[in-house]
Amino acid sequence: MITITLTTGSLLILLGLYALLTRDNLLRIIIGFSLANTGVHLIIVSFGYLKNRTAPILNDTMIAAGPETQIVDPLPQALVLTAIVIGFAITAFLLVFALRLYHTYGTLSLSKLVEKS
Amino acid sequence: MTFHWMQLVYALVSLFIVLNVGLIIQGIVRKIGARLGRRHGIRWYQLYLDLFKNYAMRSAVSHGIMFYLGPVFRLSGGIGLFLFMPVIYGSVWFQNFSGSGDLILLTYFIFFGTLGMALGAGESGHPYSAIGITRGLSQTTAAEIPLILAIIAIAVQYQTLSVTDIVAAQQGGILNWTLFTNPLATIAALLGFLGSMMRSPFDVVMAPQEIPVGPPTEFHSNFLAVLQTNRAIFPMAKTILYVNLFFGGATNWPVLIIKVFLLYMWPVFIGVAFPRFRVDQSIRWFLRIPTLIGILAILFI
Amino acid sequence: MTQPILFIALPLLATFFTGLTGKRYGKFQSAVMNLALAGTVLISAYYVSAFVSGTRQPYTASTAGSLPPFSIAFRMALPEALTLLLINGLGLLGLSALKTTFRQKGTLSAVTYLLYFMALNGIVLTRDLFNYFVFIEISSVALAGMVLFKESGRCLKAGFSWMMATGVISIFLILSAILIYVRTGALDIDNILLTDPLVLYSGSAGAFFLFLALIFELKPFPANGWALDVYENASPAVSAVFSGAGITAGLFALYKFLPIVGDRWLFPLIIIGLVTFLFSNILALKQHIVNRMLGYSSVGQAGLIAAVFGMGVLSKEDMFFIAASLMAVHALAKGGLFWLSHHTGYTSVYEWAGIRHKPLFIFLLGFYIFALLGFPPFPSFFAKWSLISALAAGPYGWMMAAILLGSLLEAAWMIRWFGFAVKGNEQTANEIQKTPPVYTLVPALLLLGLILLLNRSRFAFILTNAWIPLLFITGFFLLDFLPARVKNTFMIGGLGLYFYFLYPTLTEFRLIFAIIFLLGGMILLLAGYHYKGRRIGFYPSSALMYSGLVGLLTAGTTVEFFFWWELMTLGSYFLILRGKKSLPHALSYFLFSMGGAYTMLSGFGLLAAANQGSLALETLSSGGPFQAVIFILLALGFLTKTATVPLHIWLPGAHSEAESDVSPVVSAVLLKAGVFGLILLMAGMGPQSLGRVNLYTALGWLGAITALIGNLSAIFEEDAKRLLAYSSIGQLGYVLFALAMMNHLGWLTATVFALNHFLIKALLFLAIGGVVMRVKTRNMYEMGGLIKKMPLSFISVMIGIIALSGVPPLTGFAGKWLSYNATVLSGWYFQGVIINFAGLVTFLYCFRLIFTIFLGQLKDQHRQVKEAPFWMMVPQIILMGVILFISTVPNVALKPVGTFLTRYFPEHALVWDGPMARSLYGYWNGYMIMLVTGVVFAAVFFWLFFINRKAVKIKQFNIVFAGERPSRPELTHFAYNFFAPYQKALGFLVAPVSTDFWNRLSEGTHAIAGFIARLFSGNGQSYVIHQILFAVLVFFLVLGGI
Repeated sequence: MITITLTTGSLLILLGLYALLTRDNLLRIIIGFSLANTGVHLIIVSFGYLKNRTAPILNDTMIAAGPETQIVDPLPQALVLTAIVIGFAITAFLLVFALRLYHTYGTLSLSKLVEKS
Repeated sequence: MTFHWMQLVYALVSLFIVLNVGLIIQGIVRKIGARLGRRHGIRWYQLYLDLFKNYAMRSAVSHGIMFYLGPVFRLSGGIGLFLFMPVIYGSVWFQNFSGSGDLILLTYFIFFGTLGMALGAGESGHPYSAIGITRGLSQTTAAEIPLILAIIAIAVQYQTLSVTDIVAAQQGGILNWTLFTNPLATIAALLGFLGSMMRSPFDVVMAPQEIPVGPPTEFHSNFLAVLQTNRAIFPMAKTILYVNLFFGGATNWPVLIIKVFLLYMWPVFIGVAFPRFRVDQSIRWFLRIPTLIGILAILFI
Repeated sequence: MTQPILFIALPLLATFFTGLTGKRYGKFQSAVMNLALAGTVLISAYYVSAFVSGTRQPYTASTAGSLPPFSIAFRMALPEALTLLLINGLGLLGLSALKTTFRQKGTLSAVTYLLYFMALNGIVLTRDLFNYFVFIEISSVALAGMVLFKESGRCLKAGFSWMMATGVISIFLILSAILIYVRTGALDIDNILLTDPLVLYSGSAGAFFLFLALIFELKPFPANGWALDVYENASPAVSAVFSGAGITAGLFALYKFLPIVGDRWLFPLIIIGLVTFLFSNILALKQHIVNRMLGYSSVGQAGLIAAVFGMGVLSKEDMFFIAASLMAVHALAKGGLFWLSHHTGYTSVYEWAGIRHKPLFIFLLGFYIFALLGFPPFPSFFAKWSLISALAAGPYGWMMAAILLGSLLEAAWMIRWFGFAVKGNEQTANEIQKTPPVYTLVPALLLLGLILLLNRSRFAFILTNAWIPLLFITGFFLLDFLPARVKNTFMIGGLGLYFYFLYPTLTEFRLIFAIIFLLGGMILLLAGYHYKGRRIGFYPSSALMYSGLVGLLTAGTTVEFFFWWELMTLGSYFLILRGKKSLPHALSYFLFSMGGAYTMLSGFGLLAAANQGSLALETLSSGGPFQAVIFILLALGFLTKTATVPLHIWLPGAHSEAESDVSPVVSAVLLKAGVFGLILLMAGMGPQSLGRVNLYTALGWLGAITALIGNLSAIFEEDAKRLLAYSSIGQLGYVLFALAMMNHLGWLTATVFALNHFLIKALLFLAIGGVVMRVKTRNMYEMGGLIKKMPLSFISVMIGIIALSGVPPLTGFAGKWLSYNATVLSGWYFQGVIINFAGLVTFLYCFRLIFTIFLGQLKDQHRQVKEAPFWMMVPQIILMGVILFISTVPNVALKPVGTFLTRYFPEHALVWDGPMARSLYGYWNGYMIMLVTGVVFAAVFFWLFFINRKAVKIKQFNIVFAGERPSRPELTHFAYNFFAPYQKALGFLVAPVSTDFWNRLSEGTHAIAGFIARLFSGNGQSYVIHQILFAVLVFFLVLGGI
């Protein structure tokens, strides 16, 4: 299970980076970034997973049973939430830049943008 | 050393002697030169006549104060050089003012008159003067190199820079002369000597045809007379220096005059035998064989 | 009581508060912003004072009441407090720089700015790895927002590249956080460090990714194109905080997290840091956009400081001192520079000429640049000193070389910029006000405060010893509004008083050089009375130079010596720069000086290492196993100053292009600093040899060759001042030759040559300077016949050249006589012959100098020329008097010198008998020579005058000229290419080999810079590729066992 998510995560990162590096369209580049980010999130979550445990939502029964043996590590989950928020912010910002670049230069092609100095 | 007024008198006497010797020797040399060229030539006392005539001239024009001072510098340079030289070895009175400085003083004092004359000639505003001076200065710097090498060689050889001591070391027989104890240094110095005597092949400085006599071209009447006076004294003083350094000096006047005459003939002989060098040629020439000989002189002390 | 959380809360509250009040950025919003940042400044100041006074102890505060990793820990200690003070102080200043921008762009832009500082505060405070990631991302996004303050397509592109690159960094960072958490179960530094180091071995992927992220935040070369684009294109006010505050925070994070990364990464860190420092400055060389150059400098400085963190050899105090000094100076100075750029709006260095008539701006620019370059008395100077000394103690020569080479390159482009600002002549679009705004001034005041803080360091003794001259310098900066004549009087009086007070403490060589520096300086300053108006900048620069020169004499330690050496260089650079066309020459002077200074610095560093850190100058005698290397390094420094071939090419331009009363100072006085250094070095270290080479023999040959090349070059010069400048090179060659003999006569010769050179060059440069002032040209062939118009100047030059060429009876002959004796004594016959040949060559240029200017034909355009100004003549007359006096009674000057020289070299001293000196070989009586020459000269003169009293004065063209009377002076004045035959025969000796060499070196460096600069295409994708390749490279380097 962990192996699958880890592999998927890593592949997603590589795929994302590949897109980031090779695509000419700004939107595709941003999508590449998002893919890589998702891969990272997957990796975080999978590291926090412990076999045969449940989500870290505490209730009375859980507390009585001793939560540290019942739930998965809650910290990566908290982290991933933050990371998602931040990834969202960065993606949003990238999109803003892409939009304004399009307004200024009338193109979304990175190579054409570079030429227009 | 203490100063005696009699020293002054003897200095003047020796100066007078050397002036006459200079005039006569140069007159004779010109006579010989003319005869070799199958001309009749001047009378041997012609230089006296020229000198007196120029001193007696009434008319004179001046280009300015330095023009005035040029001949003064020149003659004081000649006289000074002579006065700083010990003339007769062993004589108490004919040491002039050689107590003021040693060989180095003499080699540098030669330039006192040269530089002053150059300034005076410069003010005349005549381009030929300036051309003559640049030639002269350029050539002299190169001609001095073998001489410097020779001087260092004999300074090391005798372990002194005092001319009197160098002469003293050469006493007691002709084989004690530097000529025989250090022939390489002597040859180097004699080759350098050629460059400072303004004779062919090194006389492009005063080339009478192209740049009418070069530096002194504008000097006339009394100015020229002063220069002519110097021309009698200065070469003699230089020759005496060489006699002192390389040919055992002299213990009395006749010996000195004979040695000076013979040594004076050396550039004269070369002069009649060789055509003229351009300045750049003479610079290269001095920096080759004479310099090499000078270096060997130092290496084989 | 305060809490660290306030550093986050205050800006955050302020952003909410203002963000909610609408889009308009009015007075109220501005007040809130200012209050928030002022609050953080005050709190950090409180913490600093509390920690320093000991009323509070460092502590860690956890948020949310639980313990890590379930809460975030903030640590507060002195380093944090200081860093925060610096960051928030810059933030507060930056607010006022951006006021107009905020007004135009609205409140949200101000909010972005404040968020950036909130994030930076968080980066400094947090102990938590993941929290660090969060703050990093906030700061990155905020910065990208701030890039948009300026609306241009280039900004957008830069911003997009920036976002792409930071996105990749965020991936590294987040991976490192999770990987480290998985291994250690902790996210905060302290708990991570508690785990078994075997568990967190530093080769792990987590450490690798963390290292990469930390490094990328500092923009390592070459993976830093995205940051450079931001520096270049963003508003400079944004770049100011990005560089000043952002780098400080990034460096602090590196310092904080480095223990987690582990020791294994320290060495790669050093390499990356130094490579970045070196190459950033190479690349900056090729730039002319100021903001990009400053960007290169910022990443370079960050690299240097990062490398310092990696240097395990540094003691803890040293590391703290060096890093703190460098960081603080960098933040303030770089902030100041960017803000200046913001205020002026100038982009290219050429445009900076717009400030050339605004002294305050020039002062500020210079202040920041020289602080950044590590000049005394700024803390960065001491940081550099400590760094080099510490490295010298171990086998880290290559690190020293990289640091010093980088610093030299940094100096090159910065000084080029400064030069354009002061002397450039390009028309600029923006006219700016005379008074600089507050935000460009405050960093300067803070830097001054930092200098005072040095009183708490181990270098306090320097400031204690130096406060009088430093006050003297400061005084002239403050009084620069006074008329030049008043300041001139102050300066002369000041030097006089200084000499009066120093006199009892000075002995031997120090006294001789004090006479040259102070009394000589006073005489030369007299010429300054000629100048009317205020002469802004002249007196502060002179004060710097003279203080520096005297400081060399009073210095008791190597660090003080170097301190004053640098100030002297600085002052003289400013003075030289004042010349009309001196821009490139001042630059080359400065660069050679800096090169020399840096070799000297390494030498002193090695020396201190050999003496267990002792800094006393007396330690020169115990150089340890490296003494020959130390000797060479120090000698290189001094030889640069004395312009020894092949380090001489800066001199002719620098000395000839300087102003008429500056040339004599830099030539006659300043060159002696190098001579003094050589004397100190040779007397201190004694005989040296490297392998089988006797270094003194080498120096002797070098001196002889320098003498020949210098003098030969002089005779082919058409420019009178360049001729004199080349002549100085030759003269200093004599001095070096004589010093290298290392015996009594040699050193006496050197002293005489040095004194003579002072007297003669001062006289000649003043005289020629006066002539140049009148005829408005320096080409000698355009002059001629001036003796009739300027007779006094003529006499000066005549005395000067007679003395210079060594013709008796003047003082130059003393040098020649001693030199001959010393040559024979040392057995240096062939070097001696070269020296003597060089001496003969002197005649050529001396004659040329006086003939082509004063003799020959007067030109039509000079018929109305007057004698040189009165105040230019006054010092000349004094100098002539001194020359004649010393020529007549040389024993007065030489006997005392000989007496103390016997302490160094007891053998072969001269024996004095009144004015008569006897050596082992010969004798010389200056008084008698003068007397005989004088009497003969007077006698002949009066004789000629008597017989020729009726000589008629005639007109200029009345000469015998092939039967014609020339009518144009140009046709008859023989002056151009005066020594053509000499050129033909020996011109090959002065082929510009050295100049070619240095030119090729400079061109080569530029070519490299141009080649590398192609990496930075402005394409975000290539920047990311650089990052990834960089990561791979680092990975393999570490894998490879470095």
